[in-house]
Amino acid sequence: MSNIIEVSGLKKSYKDFEAVKGVDLNVKEGEIFGFLGPNGAGKSTTINMLSTITKPSEGTAKINGYDNVREKNKVRASIGLIFQEPTLDEKLTANENLMLHCKFYSVKKEIREERIQEVLQIVDLTDKRTNIVETFSGGMKRRLEIARGLLHYPKVLFLDEPTVGLDPQTRTHVWEYILKLKKKAGITIFMTTHYMDEAEICDRVAVIDHGELIALGTPEQLKSNVGGDIIEVSTEDNSAAKVLIEKNYQTEVIEIENAHLSFRVAKGSEFLVDFIKQFDIPIKSVNLRKPTLNDVFLQLTGREIRDETVAQKDIRRNKMRRGMH
Amino acid sequence: MEGIVAIWQRDVIKFFRDRARLVGSFAMPFMFLILFGSGMSGAISSMMGGAGSGPLADFDFVQFMFPGIIGMTVFNTAIFSALSVVQDKEFGYMREILVSPISRVSIAIGKVLGGSTVAVFQGLMMLIFVPFIGVAISVMMVLKLIPIMFLVAFTLSSIGLIIASSLKTAQGFQMVIQVLVFPMLFLSGALFPLSGMPAWMNFLVKINPLTYSVDMFKKIILQPEKMEPALRKAMGLDLTVFNHLITFSDEILGVALLGIVFVILATFRFSRAEA
Ligand SMILES: Nc1ncnc2c1ncn2[C@@H]1O[C@H](COP(=O)(O)OP(=O)(O)OP(=O)(O)O)[C@@H](O)[C@H]1O
Ligand SMILES: [Mg+2]
Repeated sequence: MSNIIEVSGLKKSYKDFEAVKGVDLNVKEGEIFGFLGPNGAGKSTTINMLSTITKPSEGTAKINGYDNVREKNKVRASIGLIFQEPTLDEKLTANENLMLHCKFYSVKKEIREERIQEVLQIVDLTDKRTNIVETFSGGMKRRLEIARGLLHYPKVLFLDEPTVGLDPQTRTHVWEYILKLKKKAGITIFMTTHYMDEAEICDRVAVIDHGELIALGTPEQLKSNVGGDIIEVSTEDNSAAKVLIEKNYQTEVIEIENAHLSFRVAKGSEFLVDFIKQFDIPIKSVNLRKPTLNDVFLQLTGREIRDETVAQKDIRRNKMRRGMH
Repeated sequence: MEGIVAIWQRDVIKFFRDRARLVGSFAMPFMFLILFGSGMSGAISSMMGGAGSGPLADFDFVQFMFPGIIGMTVFNTAIFSALSVVQDKEFGYMREILVSPISRVSIAIGKVLGGSTVAVFQGLMMLIFVPFIGVAISVMMVLKLIPIMFLVAFTLSSIGLIIASSLKTAQGFQMVIQVLVFPMLFLSGALFPLSGMPAWMNFLVKINPLTYSVDMFKKIILQPEKMEPALRKAMGLDLTVFNHLITFSDEILGVALLGIVFVILATFRFSRAEA
């Protein structure tokens, strides 16, 4: 299979701040490629450069064989883009939003009706077709945007955190459809996400942090690099436990959110039996699991990547305000 | 081509959907006609010495103002239509447009045409005042008015787009337009007769494109050719430049030329700003 996206040395600077520091990657036709990274890592900036919205400071990118800077219009005709921020016209109806999109992308007149029905059905908005978008809930708006992005069967579909704010059923539903569409129309998907389970669906994942790619491979490859099993414990005295575990088992221990410790061992179940028997500090809870992409990120950066919802952030802020670290 | 139509269509649909704006658009002209027009008409008539008899006795300030009010409505609507470009940037819809394969030129032209169309509708809506003012408007006049309104609106929408392409916020846009439109309006003869002005003011009036735009509306609605020369003069309807009496065709040609220049500039500016 040939490369439908070719990126080399892509950089973006804002004044003297480097948001993206030289990204190299290729995406094959028909692949689902995931971009995983924490807030501010440079995911949106990269997508915006690939989709001709932002001009790169340095480096080149080619989509479908067309150069992103010199052949913008050809690139634009080849791609679909679902932005992180809402871009619907809220004063118009769902149908009007979709119809305009068909016209912008020269979807043939004869198939417009059929396409609109198809995409509305996928996101379960058929009965809202003639409603003004303003009256939609946040999740409904997001679903409509996804429907709109699929309308013209792009060769490459860019999705910037497509399912943020959707309920689990709709997320699953949207993914089923995207996978179906990939099979049927052979579209390539380039997406960013915070959700680990979404990254698991990807054929390949690139991990980005502070504007740099720090890992690239299939989810299995990345996880097998971490290797072994992950143990999570919480004890009466986490800092003392950390020191003790590092000394006894020669493994790196990471403290997460001051709540529990996480570390990696070769054979988890056998390890646990001895560990619980021998450990001196009283254990409050213990958990054994296989590595996830989160652990990949954790190992590479020492930080956890997670989708902090507003609620979680608020809880943390309140805790800090009350001095309960 | 279809892209242009889509952009145009969106602005037209949204114009008719926005009831508050439709109703609100009558407020300003109404105020001008009723408060300003009726209140000032006595003063202005007597200033012109026409309170008694003679040719100036026919002077009716409200009637005089009416073409100016139509003009004002068309200018304002047209130039403010470009506000939608700034709002689309603020609310994100512009990204949906910009990432699509429609050319920047088509987007700019679609926007200018959308603004012009809306301005024509808005101008036509001012004809609701006709029965209260006592001007006689024939179907023929309306048919003449429409293309002229469109021509004027097209030029003004282009000016609006030039400004909108250079600005990021709606507030900034509104301020610049305000500062630009008011002097142009006051120095156009839309709201009071331009006669006996100092030379510098006369100069500003003569280089103001709105002067000729308003004059076209006046020529259609007031029919100066049927007036006494003295009244015509007092109402400032004999526009001359270098002793050449400006004709209706001169004005069409002039405004059309300006329109072409401005739409090219606007397209260029927009394409540069949103490459
Ligand atoms: N227009 C801009 N001007 C200045 N800095 C910017 C601009 N756009 C983005 N940045 C900076 O670039 C960095 C990367 O931003 P970007 O939006 O790509 O992050 P992201 O990975 O998409 O994060 P998130 O998960 O929060 O969406 C951030 O530090 C951001 O502050
Ligand atoms: Mg982002």
